[in-house]
Amino acid sequence: MSETPVLQVEELSGGYSLGRPVLHDVEFEVQPGEMVGLIGLNGAGKSTTMKHILGLMTPHRGGVVVQGKTRDESPEAYQSSLAFVPESPLLYEELTVREHLEFAARAYNVGQSDYLQRSERLLKLFNMEEKADSLSMHLSKGMKQKVMIMCAFVARPPLYIIDEPFLGLDPLGIRSLLDFMLEMKQSGSSILLSSHILSTIENYCDRFIVLHQGKVIAQGTLHQIAQQANMPGASLENIFYSLVKDGE
Amino acid sequence: MELKALRSQRKSSFWGQIIPYLPYVMQSGVAVVLLLLFIVFSAWYTSFLKAMPPDLPVQWILLILLGPLTVYSGFRTYIQPADVIFLLPQETKMKEYFSPVYFSGVIYKLLALYFVTLTAWPMVVRSGEAALPLWAMLVILLALKSLSAYGAWQELRITTSRARTGYRLLRWCFILLMLAAWIWQLAWWKSLLFMLLLSVNYILALRFPMKHTVAWENLIASERSGAARALMILGWFVEVPAEGQKVIRRRWLSLAGNRTPWRRSTAYRYLLIKTFVRSELLGIIVRLALLGMLLIYWTGHSWMGIAVYIFFIFITGTQLTALRFVHRDSPAASYYPIMPGIRMKEVLRFISRLLFVLTFILWLPLLFISVAGRGDWLLSSAGLAAGLLLVLILRLAWSKKWSAIENED
Repeated sequence: MSETPVLQVEELSGGYSLGRPVLHDVEFEVQPGEMVGLIGLNGAGKSTTMKHILGLMTPHRGGVVVQGKTRDESPEAYQSSLAFVPESPLLYEELTVREHLEFAARAYNVGQSDYLQRSERLLKLFNMEEKADSLSMHLSKGMKQKVMIMCAFVARPPLYIIDEPFLGLDPLGIRSLLDFMLEMKQSGSSILLSSHILSTIENYCDRFIVLHQGKVIAQGTLHQIAQQANMPGASLENIFYSLVKDGE
Repeated sequence: MELKALRSQRKSSFWGQIIPYLPYVMQSGVAVVLLLLFIVFSAWYTSFLKAMPPDLPVQWILLILLGPLTVYSGFRTYIQPADVIFLLPQETKMKEYFSPVYFSGVIYKLLALYFVTLTAWPMVVRSGEAALPLWAMLVILLALKSLSAYGAWQELRITTSRARTGYRLLRWCFILLMLAAWIWQLAWWKSLLFMLLLSVNYILALRFPMKHTVAWENLIASERSGAARALMILGWFVEVPAEGQKVIRRRWLSLAGNRTPWRRSTAYRYLLIKTFVRSELLGIIVRLALLGMLLIYWTGHSWMGIAVYIFFIFITGTQLTALRFVHRDSPAASYYPIMPGIRMKEVLRFISRLLFVLTFILWLPLLFISVAGRGDWLLSSAGLAAGLLLVLILRLAWSKKWSAIENED
């Protein structure tokens, strides 16, 4: 028997203008302790889907349920149940790295001792100890991305929405991130991850959702989507190529 | 497109965004209050000139009024981040783009300087300190202003931030010294000679540090804060976004906000305090408070002192309302679970508490005058009461106005 999904996207249609929806009846679920890869070409609707989940965009039709609640039913519980790492880091220029972590911890109601413990570990893991007291405006793009990732992980919500996390990260940062995501997954958190680095996420995600032109064209485990593409045993990259080529 | 035309187009585009707000500025209550205060000031100044105290330190007043206005230099270049890619290949031709920038940077500030000089000059004439005619003063101010603007422009080109800070300090010292030499002149030719020698030394000193041909990154940063400052001033009157303010590290204030209670509901307060202590607004408030205290001290023996006191509470409060726009349009804010309504509540709380403290700080000169026996205790107590009442009224007005706007949104 399956558990209650952490995230349910139900027949979601939406976009920037009513007449021209970007997403068409998108439907998928993310179970507790599951890492799901959301893959698609540029403009397929990955970021738009994520924005709808975050509540930054209003669906034209359908809806999003996080931990059994919609955003309208319980905005505070909904927002506290997820943390987002955007594709481009968005930080407060006035805050240092450590202050960002503290602000995130306060906003997510993390206990002070938990915050101290988690922040020290994350700073060490992402090799940011020396930059902990630097203003975010003085960081490189990769470092800013690390701060965004650390802010999400210091909060420890049940669901992480992570958009293109590897952009700008150094190889050590990518490895640290992947290891930490696995750790979070093992502790019961769920991750919805979008990335173009298919060879990397192939080995880490439990399931994949293939978006193409705003529609889900395949979803399931690597084995399941390989069957849907009639390519048993193929790599994610080849499966994806075949699916989107057929979808043209 | 020609570089000169590009700059002109960018300037028109920026002011094209600002001008539609001007009718709202005229309609806003703040503009009316400022106009009333201007009328009250004019009346007071006229009567003050008629019965001017004989021991008034006119030279110091001139230096304090004209010094910062003469030294301060800023340029609106309208340079954009993408220019690093698209205009960099034309770096050697950028003089064409920057020449009007330099002239606009001098002309508008010079007009303000001349306005203050002309306002203050009757005081100089009545005190009998005017050894030389007004036109000589205006010529000297033009020369000093141009020199300061030249120095400020060269500072922007300096490669290291430490050298930039050092040269900024040097510019303040040199220009203030030259202005003082003119104001306190014993013989005009001696002052002029002294100023010439100092100017030559200053210009020579500017040749030493390493400089960029075009300091793209400094120009982008300074343009960003210049644009944000213009929007911040507009924000005193109407609703405009206020992102892009210059951030200043201020290590000595890095502990501020750390004692904010550890609760979800106060998370935004933590962000607000950190933002305020690293904003330009803090500098503006401190300078305003110091100027206010000085003016209140000078005028505190009469009812005019109370009027100046009230004026500074009002103007400080108006400045503080800029905090309302901070992070309002930042997408980062929507990534954290900060509930609607919290932001406005925390801003209102922070501003009113800070203004409450400033009301007491600004009152200190009145207290000092009363203790020294030069003022009336009743008058200074009434002033404090009026100041506190004004803070309460402002708080109520902000709360009502902002709630209405939030409900509309």
